[in-house]
Formats: sequence, structure tokens, C-alpha cells
Amino acid sequence: MSEKPAEIMFAQACNMAMNKAMADDDKVILLGEDIADEQGGGVFKVTAGLSAQYGTDRVRSTPISEQAIVGAAVGSALVGYRPVAEIMLMNFITVAMDQIVNHAAKLRFMSGGQTSVPLTIRTTTGAGTGLGGQHSDMLEAWLAHVPGLKVVAASNPADAYGLLYSSIMDDNPVIFIENTPTYFTKGPAPAPDHVVPLGKASIPREGTDVSLITYGRGVGASHAVAEKLASEGISCEVVDLRTIAPFDEETVLKSVAKTKAAVVVHEAVKNFGTGAEISSRIHEELFSELKAPVGRVGSGYAPVPFSPAIEKAWMFSEDDIEREIRKILG
Amino acid sequence: MADKDVLIDIFTRADLIMQSDIKFRKMIGAGQLQIVYYPVRGQEVVSAAMMAAVNQEDYLVTIYRGLHDQLAKGIPSKDLWAEFAGKMAGTCKGKGGPMHITHPETGVMVTTGIVGSGIPIANGLGLASQLEKDGKVTVCCFGDGASNIGAFHEGLNMAQIWKLPVIFLCQNNHYGEHTHMRDTTGSETIKQRGDGLGLRSVRVNGNDASEMYAAAKEAVEYARAGNGPTLIEAMTFRFHGHLLGDTSHYIPEEEMEQALKDDPMPILRQQLLDMQISETDIAAIEAKNAATIEEAAQFALDAPYPPGDEYRIDVLDVEIAA
Amino acid sequence: MATEIRIPKLGFSMEVGTLAEWLVPDGSDVTEGQEIYALENDKSTQEVESPATGKLKILIDTTGEEYPVGELIGTIE
Repeated sequence: MSEKPAEIMFAQACNMAMNKAMADDDKVILLGEDIADEQGGGVFKVTAGLSAQYGTDRVRSTPISEQAIVGAAVGSALVGYRPVAEIMLMNFITVAMDQIVNHAAKLRFMSGGQTSVPLTIRTTTGAGTGLGGQHSDMLEAWLAHVPGLKVVAASNPADAYGLLYSSIMDDNPVIFIENTPTYFTKGPAPAPDHVVPLGKASIPREGTDVSLITYGRGVGASHAVAEKLASEGISCEVVDLRTIAPFDEETVLKSVAKTKAAVVVHEAVKNFGTGAEISSRIHEELFSELKAPVGRVGSGYAPVPFSPAIEKAWMFSEDDIEREIRKILG
Repeated sequence: MADKDVLIDIFTRADLIMQSDIKFRKMIGAGQLQIVYYPVRGQEVVSAAMMAAVNQEDYLVTIYRGLHDQLAKGIPSKDLWAEFAGKMAGTCKGKGGPMHITHPETGVMVTTGIVGSGIPIANGLGLASQLEKDGKVTVCCFGDGASNIGAFHEGLNMAQIWKLPVIFLCQNNHYGEHTHMRDTTGSETIKQRGDGLGLRSVRVNGNDASEMYAAAKEAVEYARAGNGPTLIEAMTFRFHGHLLGDTSHYIPEEEMEQALKDDPMPILRQQLLDMQISETDIAAIEAKNAATIEEAAQFALDAPYPPGDEYRIDVLDVEIAA
Repeated sequence: MATEIRIPKLGFSMEVGTLAEWLVPDGSDVTEGQEIYALENDKSTQEVESPATGKLKILIDTTGEEYPVGELIGTIE
């Protein structure tokens, strides 16, 4: 593999992770709308080439039937398969919520551990490209609230590769959230055996004054702000959760115990978002040590607007992060 | 008419179901068990004949009104009763309860409390069998009401396009909760919906053991041969309400009277007698079932409850911290 | 061994039931399946059948009162 490019795109990393999982374990199968090569290898081409390599028995294009897609994944997972179901866009997950919440998440528990559901649901979303109210929502908080589900979001191609592989090989149902606007951004290529364990956050940037706790697209934005503030002598630590649920409390609390200040950053609507839970946990454990209450940055309380002018105003931004940091550092 | 051994097999399963249902209703009525219970009296023969046509390794997905399906598939009575009572010795350590029975050893993979939701999951089991080429079939039970939910249409369509080895057994007891099918369902029969989705679909008198068994056997052979799914609409009736305590006030008296007159259990018993199976032999089957149930019921009452912190186990593959 | 008669749970939301009236007097010989008392809940009144054959011993004979599900109201010996 000495010929591998130094950089790859996010979408390519996901493709490589599925390819490796399929090569390593013949119980890995893919289900989803238009995912086989004959139909284009997925609308964002994330599964391109996989049906050619592994056949359409294992890489199946499905009808537009999200309940049936997730249900078929649940059923096959119950008897030893490791299905990867692609739900084209995260908003379409809402029509499969019964299968995800009432079945995938609960069957291990309700069966007293006799069965398990090692399935991965890959889905993509993200605002900022004018897709409007039903094609861009970040719904991770809905899923993080359900016991029995893991929720994962990668912030760069190498992590996407390592996290998606771990998700597929995990014995629990995992929702793997990809980000449409950053599908084609490049990052350093991972080594072929690069694996990122679920449940472990990373600290891509160390700092001493404030912890920016984030995931997915929030990581890039937080880095940019950290870079800007560094010139003023404000030192930001960036914590990339990578697994949103269950999140790595140990790493988060350790970071905030050091910096004594935190801002939680996510693209999803701020109200009742994952930031509320993370912020609460920090307050519960470290209240008396904090310089100021934990800050939160998220998008506005509205559906994702269509017009670029409104969408920009609605969406979380680097300016919001900077403002929040300045607020809590006084 | 099905042959003698088959009918005895069906009767043995159906009688276990009938006596279990009576015992459950009695114990709940006396306050000895405090659970929500969905009676199955009247639908025994549908399940007994269906499960007599499959093997223990074949899969079953059923619903909250599922006692008949679970017993017919072979879950040991003690394990099942203990789960209904919420005990640690139950099939699911008391964490599923009557609406969520799982017992992989007898192929019972999912019992769902959500109408229609078993259908897409049954497809997944069928898909696994198709990929494994293991020759198994999946039986997926649901009621007439389920044909009005989206999962039914998505699921049957997918099963048909992929030719999955799944038998969709619609136990049509005419009522979805408290409402008659004519007030909820645009088509006259459920079979018509199967036809519309392109599936091989049949409609049978599910209360007739021989007719039901023949339809079941044919569907199983069709699926095992790789031809794909079948929808069986099995006509039946329930005698004791949607759940115990429901007085069936919405069922006209004449309709209930007629249904009780057509009670499949005495009819099946008489068929055995007509085939020269002796009263003594039949009584022996009934006595054995009665003893099994007595033992299971007592076991369920005596068995200990799970410890409270059992809730932290089986949420994920690792124990959740306290 | 005596068979207990407790206020049953008959329905999703039933937490209490009203012992409307005993249909047979204390000490009666009753047969399994015979209706022995009337139970009222928020939705309806139902006659409850004896779970066994034997002599009825009424433990709570004040009728018209509400009792929680599971309350022991009598036995069959």
C-alpha cells in the first residue's frame, strides 16, 4: 500500500472502511437505495465499486422503503449478519424510527441478552447547501436519548475510516452520521489497519484556557476559532467526541478539570441538543471549579431555512463560538 | 383431511394453547397474576396447524397476542410462564414480558408490541436464510389490523422482489382492537392486498385444521424451493376481547354466538374421534397438557424476581455503570 | 391449599377496582367458573368467576369500596 495517496476525501474513507469490513467478514452486507453500481453506487457514490467487488447479493439496492430497509437489517443482524443500512439522508430516518427505537435498540435487552443487533445505519446530513427543511437536519440528540443505540460522527476522513470500521464490527446498533457538505473535503489518509475505537474522544488540539467540546463539523469550526484566538493568547483545547453516545465522559471531564471552562459546540439546533446533556454532566461534576457556566453553541430554533441569507443567520458559526468563548472567559 | 398423525400433532399443540389461555385468564381473574393479557382462545388451530408445518429451526416473528404462536412453536411452558410473570427464570429474564417473548432455541426471534413491525424484521431473517442457503423459512404472524400500516406494504413488497422465504400469516379475527375490519380496511380481504403487491396469496378457514395445515405446508414448500413468500389470510375469531377485561361490547351478540358455535377446538376434537382415535387417547393428551400447565404456572408463581440492577445488563454488550 | 381471590388487573390502566357486590354468601360451596362477585372499574362492571371449586371464604365483605389491584378479598378452600 505504499502507493496510497497522502490525502483522501471523507466519502472515499467511508467507502474504504466498508470495503475492508466486507473483505474481513463475509457477514457484512450493505442495503440501501441506489447503492449498487448499476444504480450509481449511491447518490453520493459512497458505495461505488462495492457491488462490482462483492456482488449484488451482498450490496443490495432497495426500494424507497426505509422501514423495510432497517427492518431487513435488524432481522439479518439477529442471526449473525453485520448489515450496513444506508439511509440516504438523516431526515428519512424519521420514517424508520419504529424499527430503530422500538426494535434495533431494544431487542437485546427485551430478549434478556439472547439476541443482539450488530447493525450500522449510515446516514448523511448537514446544512449550508440550500437543501432546506427536510434534507439537512442533525437529529443525533433524538437517537442519543435512546438506551441501546450508539451514535457516532467523524470529523475527518481518517477518523471516518477508523470509526466506520469499528461501527460495523461493533455488536451494538450504531448510527453513523456522515456530513454531506464535507463529503468531498480531503484529509490525511489513514493506514489500512487504522481503527478508531468507539466511545473514545480525541484531543486534536491541546490548550489551557477553555475546552471546546464538539464533534463532526463542529471540530473544524472549533479549530479555526482556536487558531484565531491563539494570536491573542487565548489557549483553546479541542475535544472531538467522535462517539456522541455514549460519550467519553472521562476525557471530557479531565479536559475541563484542567481548563476550568467549556463551550459545547454542535451544528444541531441548540434547544434540547446534546450540548445540554454534556454541559449538565460538566456542571454536576465540576461546578465549583468552573470559571463560568458552560457555554453552548448550536443552530437556531427553526427548521433549516432554504434561502442562503436566512440559512447563514440560522446556522451555528465560528463567530458564535468566538463570542461564546469571550463571554465565559469574561 | 390431513392424516391422523398430523391432526393429533395439531390437536396436541392447540389443546395446550387452549388450556394455557384458560389458566392465564383464571389466574389473572383471581388476581394471582397482575399482567395485561391478550387472550388467544378461538385462534388456537391457526397457530397449531401453521407450526406443525415447520421445523423447530425455522424462525417465527409474532406479536403481543402471541401466546398461541409461541406455544405452538415449542417454547417450553415453564420458561414462557415465568416470563409472563416477570421472573428471572423466564425466557428473557423478565425483561421482555408477555409482549416481547424471544426464544431462539425454538426459533422464536422477535415478539413485537408494535402493530405490523414484525414484517420488515421477518424479511431480514428470510434474507439471512437466503444468503446462508440454510433452507429455513420464517413465519411472520400479525392480525388483520396490521394490513393498514405502512410496514405491511413496504415489507411484503420487499419480500416479493427479493423472493424471500417468508410466510406472512395474517390471522384475521375481524377486529383491530375494538373496530370491525369493514370500518378500517378499504379492501374486502387481506388476500387482495397481497395480490396487489404481487405475492402468492391465499385465504383459508384458519379454524379448520386440515385446510389451514394444507395451506401452511404448501407455503412452506414454496418458500423452501426458493419461489418466495406467501401471504396466508387465515380466517378466525377471538372470544375474549382485545385484552382481558375488555368485554367485547362492540361485537354484536349474534356474531359472537355464531363464532362460539364454530369454536375450532370441539370441532377438531370430534374430527379425531371420527378418525377412530379413542376418547382415552385424547383424554391422555389433555391430561398431559394440563399437568404441564399446572407445573409451569406454579413454577412461575414460585420463581424469584430478577434483581433490580438487572436493568443495567443487556442494554449494550457491556454492563451499564450504576 | 386455599386458592386466593385478589382484585385483578383487567386492562392497561387499571390500578384499583370496586368490589361492587358478592353474588354468593360467605361459606357457600362454589364451583370453578361460577360468577362469585361483581367488580367495577372506571370502564365497566364485570362478574368475576371463581378460580376453583370449594368453600368460599369472604375476607372483605364491605361492598362498594375501592381496593388496589392485588388486594386479597377472599379464598376458596
